[in-house]
Amino acid sequence: MDQAFFDYVRYRTDEVPAGYTKNGLEMYRRLVYQGVDSMISYAYPHVKSGLSDEEWRFLLENFIAKSEWNSNFYGDLSNEFIIFLQNETATAG
Amino acid sequence: MIGLGYRSEMRDWDLSKLPISFIEVAPENWIGKDTSRLEELGLPIKFHGVSLSLGGTGELNQQFLKDVRALMIRLNVTDYSDHIASSGDAHQLYDLFPIPFTQSEVDRLADRIKQAQDILGIRIGVENASYYTNRGELTENQFIEELLAKSDCNLLLDVNNLLVNSKNHKYEFELPNVDPARVSYLHVAGHDYIADLDLYQDTHGAHAEEIVAKTADAYSIAHNKEILLEWDNDIPTIDVIREELEWIKPSLTM
Repeated sequence: MDQAFFDYVRYRTDEVPAGYTKNGLEMYRRLVYQGVDSMISYAYPHVKSGLSDEEWRFLLENFIAKSEWNSNFYGDLSNEFIIFLQNETATAG
Repeated sequence: MIGLGYRSEMRDWDLSKLPISFIEVAPENWIGKDTSRLEELGLPIKFHGVSLSLGGTGELNQQFLKDVRALMIRLNVTDYSDHIASSGDAHQLYDLFPIPFTQSEVDRLADRIKQAQDILGIRIGVENASYYTNRGELTENQFIEELLAKSDCNLLLDVNNLLVNSKNHKYEFELPNVDPARVSYLHVAGHDYIADLDLYQDTHGAHAEEIVAKTADAYSIAHNKEILLEWDNDIPTIDVIREELEWIKPSLTM
């Protein structure tokens, strides 16, 4: 397992790690982003509608970068998002 | 014998109109849920999971595996498989990511498969996955062959994934050299081309390619294996699924 691979997929770096291709990594970024976007848009449509497209993307990329999800159940992302928002608000405030 | 990956979008379908003898579902979608709809289908069920993260670095979730086993017993499920992939790093990212094709990763993966099998008390299947980029000194087929030699799991042979990988990484499509007795069953699906990345994506959202269907059918006849059709995105009508099943397995209509 390569942490550098996941650092790229999680938007923590744009540096392509040795041995991997940029297009391949972009595909994994898209798959993760689409998975998160689809679940969080479904669970919290009012959050999405209150933000510009750029703000929404910034928020979700941050969510993915900082995530420490452990649940085997994809649906639990909606709870994780609330915890993330609470932490972000606490940090900002 | 052919089966179908059962999705919630198919809940209103009359599955008796399809020539299938089993269905496959992700246990993640049914643990802790009302399973009466599944049971009412009256078809044998196989479990094909997505979240075990055999290639990840976080500890395997023992409670999850115990829940899988309990549901297998309750629903008379005979097979449980997941992927030759990770679902994230030490954490979940809810997709399937490549395990570097190296000997040290073969060893680590074999250890984790053994751990999973010890918790479950049964042999599991591992599916060769699609990968969009990966590193390592082994080819994909060498990695699969080494893994099967090191581990007493079965291989869920996904013929479409082998084709997707061979197209993306520009090598000849061929099956890994594995004892057929170790192959649990076969997966067939379709894929799509993503033009801006110049990559074929394993979408399970299209008609299967002829070489995938023909290869799977020939293998299933030669070695008496079941085939499972996966169609998870852009799910068509039940009539299209029936045609696809009959096309993959022409003997069904003879």
